Amino acid sequence: MPRAQNQMEVKARRKLLFLAAILALWSLLIVGRLIQVQIVERAKWEDLAQRQQQRDTNLTPPRGKIIDRNGKVLALSVPVETVFASTRFVPDLREKLTLVANICGVNPAEVIARCEGKPFCYIASKVDAATAARVRELKLTGIGFEPDVKRSYPNQSLGAHVLGNVGANDRGASGLEQKYDEVLVGEPGRVNRQVDARGTYIDSVVQQPEPGQNIILTIDQHIQYVAEQELARAMKETSARSGTVIVENPHTGEILALANSPTFDPNHLQGVDPRSMQNPAVSFPYEPGSTFKIITVAAALEEKVTTPQEMIDCGNGSIVVGRLRIHDHKKYSALSVSDVIANSSDVGAIRLAQRLGDRLLYHYILGFGVGARTGIELPSETRGMTRPPEKWNPSSIGAISMGQEIGLSAVQLTAVVATIANDGIWTAPRIVAAQTPPANGMKTVQYQPVGQRRVISTLTAAQMKLMLQGVVLHGTGTKATLQGYTSAGKTGTAQRKDDVACAAAARHEPGAKCRYSKTDYVGTFAGFAPLNNPAIVVVVVLDSAKGLHQGGQVSAPVFARIAQNTLAYLKVAPDVDLPMSRQMLMAMKRSNAADLNDGPSDTLGEPLEVAQDEQPAVAPAVERTPANGVKPVNLPVHPGVPGVPATNSQAVSAGVSAGAAWAGQPLQTPEDSRKNASGGGVVMGTANDVVVPSFLGKGMRYAIAEAQALGLEVDLHGNGVVREQAPAPGSRVQPGSHIAVRLGR
Amino acid sequence: MARLASIRDFDWGLLVYVLLICALGVVEIHSATVGTKFAGSETKQIYWIIAGLVVMYIVSNISYHALLDRVPWMYGISLVALLAVKVFGATALGAKRWIRLPGGTHFQPSEWVKLILILAMAKYFSDNRSSELSWADFLKAGTLVGLPMLLVLSQPDLGTALTYVPVAMMGLFLGGLRWKQAGIVLLVVVAVLPVAYFKLKPYQRERLTSFVAPEADAKGSGYQVTQSLIAVGSGGLWGSPTKGSQTHLSYLPIPQTDFIFAAFAEERGFVGAMAVLLLYFLVLMRLTSHAQTAPDRAGAFIVMGVFAVLAFHILVNVGMVVGFMPVTGIPLPLMSYGGSSVLFMFLALGIVMNVRMRRFVS
Repeated sequence: MPRAQNQMEVKARRKLLFLAAILALWSLLIVGRLIQVQIVERAKWEDLAQRQQQRDTNLTPPRGKIIDRNGKVLALSVPVETVFASTRFVPDLREKLTLVANICGVNPAEVIARCEGKPFCYIASKVDAATAARVRELKLTGIGFEPDVKRSYPNQSLGAHVLGNVGANDRGASGLEQKYDEVLVGEPGRVNRQVDARGTYIDSVVQQPEPGQNIILTIDQHIQYVAEQELARAMKETSARSGTVIVENPHTGEILALANSPTFDPNHLQGVDPRSMQNPAVSFPYEPGSTFKIITVAAALEEKVTTPQEMIDCGNGSIVVGRLRIHDHKKYSALSVSDVIANSSDVGAIRLAQRLGDRLLYHYILGFGVGARTGIELPSETRGMTRPPEKWNPSSIGAISMGQEIGLSAVQLTAVVATIANDGIWTAPRIVAAQTPPANGMKTVQYQPVGQRRVISTLTAAQMKLMLQGVVLHGTGTKATLQGYTSAGKTGTAQRKDDVACAAAARHEPGAKCRYSKTDYVGTFAGFAPLNNPAIVVVVVLDSAKGLHQGGQVSAPVFARIAQNTLAYLKVAPDVDLPMSRQMLMAMKRSNAADLNDGPSDTLGEPLEVAQDEQPAVAPAVERTPANGVKPVNLPVHPGVPGVPATNSQAVSAGVSAGAAWAGQPLQTPEDSRKNASGGGVVMGTANDVVVPSFLGKGMRYAIAEAQALGLEVDLHGNGVVREQAPAPGSRVQPGSHIAVRLGR
Repeated sequence: MARLASIRDFDWGLLVYVLLICALGVVEIHSATVGTKFAGSETKQIYWIIAGLVVMYIVSNISYHALLDRVPWMYGISLVALLAVKVFGATALGAKRWIRLPGGTHFQPSEWVKLILILAMAKYFSDNRSSELSWADFLKAGTLVGLPMLLVLSQPDLGTALTYVPVAMMGLFLGGLRWKQAGIVLLVVVAVLPVAYFKLKPYQRERLTSFVAPEADAKGSGYQVTQSLIAVGSGGLWGSPTKGSQTHLSYLPIPQTDFIFAAFAEERGFVGAMAVLLLYFLVLMRLTSHAQTAPDRAGAFIVMGVFAVLAFHILVNVGMVVGFMPVTGIPLPLMSYGGSSVLFMFLALGIVMNVRMRRFVS
């Protein structure tokens, strides 16, 4: 029995061993499998885990704001949301997609086509918060939201050509949005999205998007608005094809307004002709016509081939240049050079140009900045159309001297006129004052004029100013007369190329020849005001006005209305006596303004000023040849023309601004440019600034005491009580600035 | 036969291993359910474990011979209970597996039948002392297990029914199964499988097909296996750096019960998984040693029955987690959340203790 027992035990043990072997094999297989999955193939499984659990997306950064000189926001990015679907988790996919698409205002059929068969798809992008909330309320599974931003232009079309627009990818497509895209765009953020098995997800922001930098413009929203309103009105009244208005501070080159018509609303670009989004003011050269005579005559005066008083034989209204006979619009026998400008005599201008010769004229054309980009911060700026004298034909000098056969942009023309207004110094027009970090949109802005160069002497500029005032007083531009301010400018009515014919000629169609249109003209008025220490240059161009089309008829009134409004807005002191009652009103208004301590702007905080320790970089480049030796213009630059009451006001303001500017210094010192700025009223307030009080009607002692209390210096002229003062009450100036006052009994 | 079992004879080593496994389970249940509707399950699990310890202590003090004497009764009651489930059972997920008891608890007889079958097999083969299994005994033993198994299958509950197989296997092997008989069992299984396949519920069939080719239906039934493998794989050597995102993002199905090993492997990596398997190995080794030192043949049969059930559960569950086995709903003993499972294991271990504490008595 023990033996049998033993045998049985052996057999049982063998079978047990067999069982144990199976168990051990199974266990080994499992361990082997664990090694395979967890160690050998780990990367593969981790990748699979990542793919189903993680979804990295970018966060679009908000673009920087575009801000006007007073801190008004012209363009900003507002938060919106993008709706997406994780289709796997959406029951009744088609039905739900249709529902959401309808709420979001997108085509359901397109959405379904886009989403079906894809694990993830976007239903609608950039929907506003309210719409997103409506979708969210449905609490649909598998439908999610992603934060996004959308560009918004709160003033609709205001400044559209300056601001430009952004494309669907939120990148700049035109205007400053395009030019400053790299500055405005910011750094995208990254989001790590964990999706769980039910399709719900948790977003964790790996990297916050970094907003782009803001840019601060030299544009003033109010002036821009005025310019656009007046341009629109003129477009309506004249039925012009297109039009452009530019307002600029001639001393600094700051563009205060730049408007084109027709315009567009960058918020709603559907159906907008992309061509209308180009900026003709900087991109399209046009033949300026008689306004170009400014260059011709200024060059002649500068080269001393004539004087303002010299009588020019106008050949009874006709002259032969090369093989071309040119007729004046009136038969003048002889005109003074002043009257050549005032009456816009082509023959007179041609005679002066002929005295200069091709090369010298061309030299001054280049000097005034024609043929070179001004460098304004807007995309696709034109150089203008100029040819070197070698390529001129014998009649070219005739055409060019009166502004044909040459092309420049409205911005270039603005710079030409600003050169006269700024005592002969060409200044590059600028539209962007500064870039500021996103968090610090309201910081101090220091604007410094750039690219300044002397083109003509101060004397020539002064002579030109008076001659251009003559245009307004008794010449072709009387409609540019202002109330309470002197003004100056030049009209221009240029023949226009026949677009149809020229296009045909460009296609080499037989018989087609590019020629001037017989019906279409470009009417320009380019001027500035007030005459001494001008605060603004305004250029108005109207293309193909119906009926009246001359610059003096169609564009000068636009100039007048814009300048009038802008000067008052800038609180520029009137330099012409107004009718008595009106003068009283103005005085009251001024003292009220001073009492209210209400500066033109107190939002931005700091003036566009030149740093005390920084000399303008261009200063050494200014040449002072003996021939045009700088003479201060604080002479009594009284025009002495009928129609302007003889007051001392102009002398005073000239003495303060121009005089100080030119005493021994060819260019503006920082101090002076500040004065110019304050004279122009385009100062942004700072905490340190002092608001100039009204001294009007106060005694000498009182004025001195009050000024000292505020930390201001008073320059006294005359005796008695204060009759006039500059800068005007309410202006903001740096402590220690000089206030000129004229006293009278 | 004076046999007041002493506390000193209690297998403290085994208890430590078991409690270690339970502790890892509780931690993992917490981790897997935190933030879900099952949050707090770990506390309930702790209560079940405490209850289990009490049951284990009580059972270890009742001589297993007393239990064996009452096996025919228990077996009869089992069959009645399984039939009662068929009649009065609560229907859940298309199957009748539970009897609803007052107080909101559910009673699942099939779980306890397993234990009774262990005792029944032990009783049957301890009475039958031949060296080789006779054909009559082979059929009788087969019927003994087969009857309740068919009842459970018809609930239908394939998973639990399959857990009866190792009980029968172990009994037959220890009872002196002949190779011929083993061959016949194999043949029957092979013959029945295709027939059974068509009798399976669609979801069961899907589970099987997706087990054969999980990638064919990665979002359906194969989904569970794929997700389990992703969890295990991303655990790597030391555990996933994302601290178990597969589990926490609910990709892993029922991570606190059937797939707790996958959740654990994801969070603790290969090293953790091996540590758990080692603990189970130690437990199984203790059981084999107790089977050898058992005072009688019946004791050895009981311990080896428990061994078989435990080993089967572990290997099938882990095999399912790593994609070797179809998804059958077999929990990992001692780790998976669930009162029935915990109580059953402690009860079974209590009987093992019972056998062990009487090893010097016979």
